[in-house]
Amino acid sequence: MAENVHGQSCVPRLQISGICKAFGQNVVLKGIDLSVRAGEVLALIGGNGAGKSTLMKIIMGIYTCDRGEIRIDGQVAKLGKPAASLAAGVYLVPQEPLLFPNMTVLENILMGFHEKESELKKRLSQHMQELGFQLNLQRKANTLSIAEQQLVELLRGLMRDARILILDEPTSALTFGEVQALFKVVQDLKRKGISMIYITHRLNEVFEIATDVAIMRDGVITLEGPVENFTKDMLIAGLLPQDADVQQNDRAYEPVRYSELKPVMQVKALTGYGFKDITFDLYPGEILGIAGVVGAGRTELISTIFGRDKTLSGQVILDGKDITGLPTKRVLEEGINFVPEDRHRHGLFRIRSISSNTTSALLNSVKIGRINMNRSQQKRIAKQYADDFRTKIVSLEDLIGSLSGGNQQKVVIARALSTMPKVVILDEPTRGIDAAARSDVYNIIRQLKEAGVAVLMVSSDIEEVVELADRAITVFQGRINGEFSREEITQDVLTSASFGIGQERKVRV
Amino acid sequence: MKQIQSLFEARWMSSLIFLILLFLITGIADPAFLSYSNIISCFNTATMYTLLAVGIAFVIMTGEIDVSIGATLGLTAAMTGLIAQRDGSVVVMLLVVMVVGAVIGLVNGLGVAYFGVPSLIFTLGTNSVVRGLVYIMTDGRTVENFGGTIASYGNKTLFAQITVYYAIAVALVAIAHFVLTRTRKGKYFIAVGDNAGGANLVGISVLGTKILAYVLCGLFAGIGGFVFASKYGQVMTVAGNGYEMTAIAACVLGGVSLSGGLGNMVGAAIGAVIMSSISRLLVFIGLPSTYDNTITGVMLIVIVVVDALAQRRSIEMSRRKRLLSRTAENTPEGGVKA
Repeated sequence: MAENVHGQSCVPRLQISGICKAFGQNVVLKGIDLSVRAGEVLALIGGNGAGKSTLMKIIMGIYTCDRGEIRIDGQVAKLGKPAASLAAGVYLVPQEPLLFPNMTVLENILMGFHEKESELKKRLSQHMQELGFQLNLQRKANTLSIAEQQLVELLRGLMRDARILILDEPTSALTFGEVQALFKVVQDLKRKGISMIYITHRLNEVFEIATDVAIMRDGVITLEGPVENFTKDMLIAGLLPQDADVQQNDRAYEPVRYSELKPVMQVKALTGYGFKDITFDLYPGEILGIAGVVGAGRTELISTIFGRDKTLSGQVILDGKDITGLPTKRVLEEGINFVPEDRHRHGLFRIRSISSNTTSALLNSVKIGRINMNRSQQKRIAKQYADDFRTKIVSLEDLIGSLSGGNQQKVVIARALSTMPKVVILDEPTRGIDAAARSDVYNIIRQLKEAGVAVLMVSSDIEEVVELADRAITVFQGRINGEFSREEITQDVLTSASFGIGQERKVRV
Repeated sequence: MKQIQSLFEARWMSSLIFLILLFLITGIADPAFLSYSNIISCFNTATMYTLLAVGIAFVIMTGEIDVSIGATLGLTAAMTGLIAQRDGSVVVMLLVVMVVGAVIGLVNGLGVAYFGVPSLIFTLGTNSVVRGLVYIMTDGRTVENFGGTIASYGNKTLFAQITVYYAIAVALVAIAHFVLTRTRKGKYFIAVGDNAGGANLVGISVLGTKILAYVLCGLFAGIGGFVFASKYGQVMTVAGNGYEMTAIAACVLGGVSLSGGLGNMVGAAIGAVIMSSISRLLVFIGLPSTYDNTITGVMLIVIVVVDALAQRRSIEMSRRKRLLSRTAENTPEGGVKA
């Protein structure tokens, strides 16, 4: 970088060269070069499986690299365990803060230090003052919100005199206000000359706070440089695989004829934990998008409809039948299926085969046999979905864990479909899925719609809602604050409504 | 005031209250129970369980388990007896039991932390091996007829009918408690059990901490073996069988969470007293001692279940509170009324 705006010396704070890493046969990093100077914020973007996390774990000393070199302030750093990285001034703020839930905030921050406690406390209050943090140090960590937990993590890093902070998707679980507060902290830290690597999936954030940007794909850096040199489209192009035929969506498919349809599901003034007075209708053969920021209450809404949480008041009517507050098993039987946001926690049986996973929702039905499971039937169903969805598999008997994120998601959607539901609820259907698999998933969702299934799709990715939805509602702070027909749906409108910015509630005609 | 409040919130406090209640109820059934000497002997008989419970508490706090301590106690007790038969000195005995205990702990620690074998499985294995060593070493016979100094220590009292061994055990509890709450390294045990990934990230060696916990656990079991031999003057091949369960139960009763990261030594020590008092309480209440195991088992299950439910409930309540605050009427910045 020729023009060094911060006037620091030319030796980068952190310089990574030729880092390679393989786990067995799986080569994750194929020679990574990166450098970060003092006071720079390097935004690192890339799909799942691009190798970002692995690279960060190497810098943090959780993994060792097979080849390559890491220099800190020009000195070759011998990392390889976290203690060494901490000593070298590196601190990783993980996506899910790793606090000790049963300890107080103070204990959490001071854990692992060797200095006197009184001195540490003095330094801590200094840091908190400088950044304007207000946090009761005697609170137990398990009472903190995610944003507060991140502050604790940042303080931990600062207490260690970290000069290189790695922030791994820090905003993914924050509300809008919290994001703004975090950005302010990042700006302050930048002024203090702290270098940051900022991992994100949100391109807008890159332009908001990063000084530099790097894109990682399949274990290599495909694009790198100061943010000013790029536009959003260039970044998107950098994220897409070169051989992918970039499909422009013309949204030219048949509009839904609402006047001829009766709603299959009606939600009436539904109130539960995290949402209030939610009312909407869902029609067969439509995709209803629910937009909003993370934490707006959308996930809580759909898990309540699906019988996983308590309904406080209101009604859910499916095909004229009141299904309010039924347990999940009954809701499934009534014909609603759910594709969860977190594939790993709620979606997959990781050590089972692809075919078992595809048919696992059918275990209660007669289709694959009551007592003696009909293996060939199981295989036939799994194969049909694998073909329909273009799932990349070697054998149906392979473990589901061996598939990529996108292909795993296809299996989870296939499973939801195998029960022939009337309504499918999709929660963040393409989260953490690379661009190529994403368009496959979109096609699958459209197939659903064409088959007459009512699709309720929760997504934080506004582009996704714009691309797919026939209608959209936005949820802000637990309430519906906007309803839009297909003609009205644009990125701007949805984004501003998601952030609660001046929208009159529109009623669909 | 604040300190008194936090004292009552402490998990070990509820076990102390439970212990007092047990004593009072038994006292109502038979007032003879509440004599000084009787209550003191409840504590004195808890010596071995106290040692085992404190040792295993280190392991449980890191989120692991050790079911080999009963066998370790048996082996070190037999060794103490064998050395006593040959007129060896107490110093030699103590050295041997501590080294043997620590080595068994080290093996467990390596197996669990380094090789990553689930702790229940691995220590079940060492349990068999160590118990086997007792048979090999004693030819399957009871070690007995060792007189001399160590047998005479057995029931020696220090003051006010408190035995020397119980006093030593209490001192060890105090030291362990101090290490755990007042030293930096001591807090590592809790930290590792609370969140191993987080501990690793702040530079705490999860591997080292777990191994150390097992070594300490073995060490305490070894000392327990010495006390056993000294107290009973004879060591059967099955000595210490089942003690591991009692020690684990003592920890749980004392508020040490089986999932790790919670609890302290005072609680474990109180739990040990509760466990060792049960059979005595039954006698006074008038139930045959055959009920002993069943009642302790039921008590253990009830406490674990109640603890788990309470924890789940508090997590759920705080989640709901957080969610409800989101939809509260007065929405601050940027609130849009629908």
